[in-house]
Amino acid sequence: MYDYIVIGSGSAGGIMSRRLNASGAKVLLIEAGKHYTRKNFPQSELEYSAQLFWGGGIEFDTEARTAFLRARCVGGTTIVNQALMDRFDADALDDWKQRSGVDFFSLDALTPWYEKAEANLKLHTFGSEERNSNAQKFCDASDSLGYKWKYLRRGMDDCALGRGNDCVGCLGGCYRDSKQSSLVTSIQPALTEGLELRSEFEVGRIEHHSDHVRVFGHHKGEKVEVRGAKVILCAGSFGTTKLMLASGFKKQMPALGKGFCQHPQYMLFGVFDDIMDAWRSSFQTVASNDHGFRKRGFKLENVFAGPVSTAFLFKLYGKEHHRIMREYRKMTSLEVAVRDEPEGGEMSLDNNGKLLVKKTLTDQDNRRRVDGLDTIRQILHAQGAKEVVETAFYFGLHLMGGCQMGVDATRSVVAPDYRVHGLKNLYIADTSLYPSAPGINPSLTAMTLSYRLSAQLLGE
Amino acid sequence: MSFRSRYLSPAAVRGMTRIGDILCPGDGHFPSFSATGCVEHVDIPLEYAPAADIGDLSLLLSILSYMPQPVLQWVVRQMAESHESSGPLSSTFRQLDFGLRGIIFGLYYSGRTGVGYSGPDTHTLTGYSVNRVED
Repeated sequence: MYDYIVIGSGSAGGIMSRRLNASGAKVLLIEAGKHYTRKNFPQSELEYSAQLFWGGGIEFDTEARTAFLRARCVGGTTIVNQALMDRFDADALDDWKQRSGVDFFSLDALTPWYEKAEANLKLHTFGSEERNSNAQKFCDASDSLGYKWKYLRRGMDDCALGRGNDCVGCLGGCYRDSKQSSLVTSIQPALTEGLELRSEFEVGRIEHHSDHVRVFGHHKGEKVEVRGAKVILCAGSFGTTKLMLASGFKKQMPALGKGFCQHPQYMLFGVFDDIMDAWRSSFQTVASNDHGFRKRGFKLENVFAGPVSTAFLFKLYGKEHHRIMREYRKMTSLEVAVRDEPEGGEMSLDNNGKLLVKKTLTDQDNRRRVDGLDTIRQILHAQGAKEVVETAFYFGLHLMGGCQMGVDATRSVVAPDYRVHGLKNLYIADTSLYPSAPGINPSLTAMTLSYRLSAQLLGE
Repeated sequence: MSFRSRYLSPAAVRGMTRIGDILCPGDGHFPSFSATGCVEHVDIPLEYAPAADIGDLSLLLSILSYMPQPVLQWVVRQMAESHESSGPLSSTFRQLDFGLRGIIFGLYYSGRTGVGYSGPDTHTLTGYSVNRVED
């Protein structure tokens, strides 16, 4: 029997398994996806979309209005994200505290834990010399309109940007081991220290007992059962919630599956007369940092995408589509990320055990979307765009909630000590415990909260 | 067409090619979807798609392959307009839109071409290239 079984290897699972393993405990890390490394990450958009994501690329809500992106590989979504590392602000944590009643959701209480989590990462804050044409246009237009912006802080070591590397390749896994994914920062070091990793192990159900937890699933197609004295769920909002539902906990936990929230992201593209090559170098170096936007519930990010993703987003097809794609090199883009309300989201299982995600944007969510998109159009016009290209739909990124933390067992799933209410050997440490959408990239906080639980488990 | 997919029937490949030619008909600068032969790489994305989804997709594309062109154009129009509408049918068309556009644009803009195509690939035509500094 293992001392600890960690299910899921992303932001929360990586750091958790490394720290528990380093203590000398017998630890098993389980991941549903494959174990890729810098040597064999798929290299094209076509290949990595299919190989690294659940659903063969994208998943949908029950109305097929939102396309969710969720990685399925060792390292989880940290393999395919941009490794942007922001701490939450008082506004986000105050909201969490109010919703959950959990005392340690405060800047004072979490700052030391942020510092510990950050010590495990190589962090880089971009500067003016690293802005590409897309970022330069965003900054200039924001300045002219009086909007505040900031340089992003990213988990990266040596991206060779000064030597002409284009980081857009990073979206399918970093072939330089520069991006600070959980694979690079935690799992690879832990494997050299003796961590047991089982990839391609899809857990179907867990069973809680008084002195251990049984874990049932399929490992590379074979039925498997493993046992741990303690099990920590780190499979993310969808993965952890699905597992809890499939294990039959809904009857005793009415809040299970509720409160799913995200940051719906809408992109618009501007077309210019000059070549922009907006995917060049580091394609995401700046974002809005405007107090007014924060109050209005959205932020703007300066992003771009390869031609497959860009074409997929456009509303247009046929000759109009070709006309726009001829201008690909002359495009910039901006994205609005909305801080949505958890009241509109709920997860359940259908009769075949498939996860159903119901996500209705509330009136407030929609107001924020319209407000954010109008602001982007204003910025693109201030940049001098000759045309603004609309997109057909939005992506649901930063998936959160479903097993919310709180003091009230009737309204939450996870207690403030990270134990599932009433189950002393089962813990949850990932973004499924988030009480609401913070409007800030959730990855660093997932690591931080997981680090904090690991310290609790180790008696530090 | 000599290409055979491991996951789609020949009729389904024909259906995908016909829809692909509505989405990407070619315009003098870009070739049509069918001209590039990129459909010959369709097994790359399908290898990792859920088996049930592939079965549904294959059946649907096979049916569409026998439809007259105006019906296919109507289907594509419904797909494109589905994101602005509501109701049960619109949800079906949205799923279809995500699925078909995902694969078709994925193949078309991947830069991959078929054995019979000799023109410039879509990466060349869009001007997209990625520098990878590996040391």
